[in-house]
Amino acid sequence: MSLVSELASTPGVLAAGEYSFRGDRFSYEGMMDNEQARLASIMCRATTMATHMQTDMMDQFAESCGCAPSRGWIVKGRDYSVCVIANFFCFVDNHNASINDVVKKMRTSIGDTEQALV
Amino acid sequence: MLKKLLVLDGVMAVAKFRDDGSFVEGYGMMPDEQLVGLAKFAHDYKRMVQGNADQLSMFAQVRGWTPPGGWIVRGPGMSVLSVSNVVAVVNNQETSINEVMQELRDAANY
Amino acid sequence: MANLDSLMSLTGAVAAFSYSDAGELKEHRLGDGPLNEDVLDLLAHVCVANTAIATMQARGWQKLTDMDGFYPIEGFTLVGFDWSAVTANGMGVVLANDSADYEAAYKALND
Repeated sequence: MSLVSELASTPGVLAAGEYSFRGDRFSYEGMMDNEQARLASIMCRATTMATHMQTDMMDQFAESCGCAPSRGWIVKGRDYSVCVIANFFCFVDNHNASINDVVKKMRTSIGDTEQALV
Repeated sequence: MLKKLLVLDGVMAVAKFRDDGSFVEGYGMMPDEQLVGLAKFAHDYKRMVQGNADQLSMFAQVRGWTPPGGWIVRGPGMSVLSVSNVVAVVNNQETSINEVMQELRDAANY
Repeated sequence: MANLDSLMSLTGAVAAFSYSDAGELKEHRLGDGPLNEDVLDLLAHVCVANTAIATMQARGWQKLTDMDGFYPIEGFTLVGFDWSAVTANGMGVVLANDSADYEAAYKALND
């Protein structure tokens, strides 16, 4: 079972997907249509680019501080959250999903993969 | 072409980078490693601005923002200006931002 | 409102801090590890910047998809290489990734 399928079938997960760092491809499963998945991929890629730049800069100011390279990020909204590790994203319902479980699953599967941003 | 920018009032440093972020050349009142850092920052920042401009276009459904022509970050004493793959650091008191942006456009298209 | 000492009592916490709306570091606590005041100041700016971007994204998403629930943004977490910085309401806590309990951190930050 792929990580995207595994995440999408997790209780409380609305949808999960994978986007290319180049920004030209994406795939997804769950309660989301193709256009929403495209928007989600563009947004997640933009924030991932930003966090990579930011952690690289922090690393320059405090070498080996454990910040860089960035593995991902989480943004928590009123009812929903977005969890991103490497180039995978997962939309979760705050009231029915465990962010800890989702992030753990993502980190275990892909947390150490090479994250060269093209 | 890049060195020509240093003749303009208030321009303290200039640098050029490739699309993959690698340093091409840099000149001005900065040590070499800072010029390399300036190019890296400009490359990263360009990608961030591009990402945000793409989203603005996408959400607002209005043309005209992408691809972004460049960016300016203005601090209290100094500013950083960039067009395409060229970046300049300027002293706010001594420079004409309009003039430097025009020269950056020329240098980027050279 | 959370206080820094209660944030430091979270499992795996290595630092806790508070910051202004502009991202300037106000107060902080440091535990064991290579972090320092300068890193926390940068971290606070990073989290404020990304919260602002996420707010823009939540607004745009809401307008385009008619899907509510992301806005307003209640927190941003940076998952770094070794540490995660969980931030909300002008406060943040840095947790070791391996033992990070994000839900407990959000709860503590919203207390």
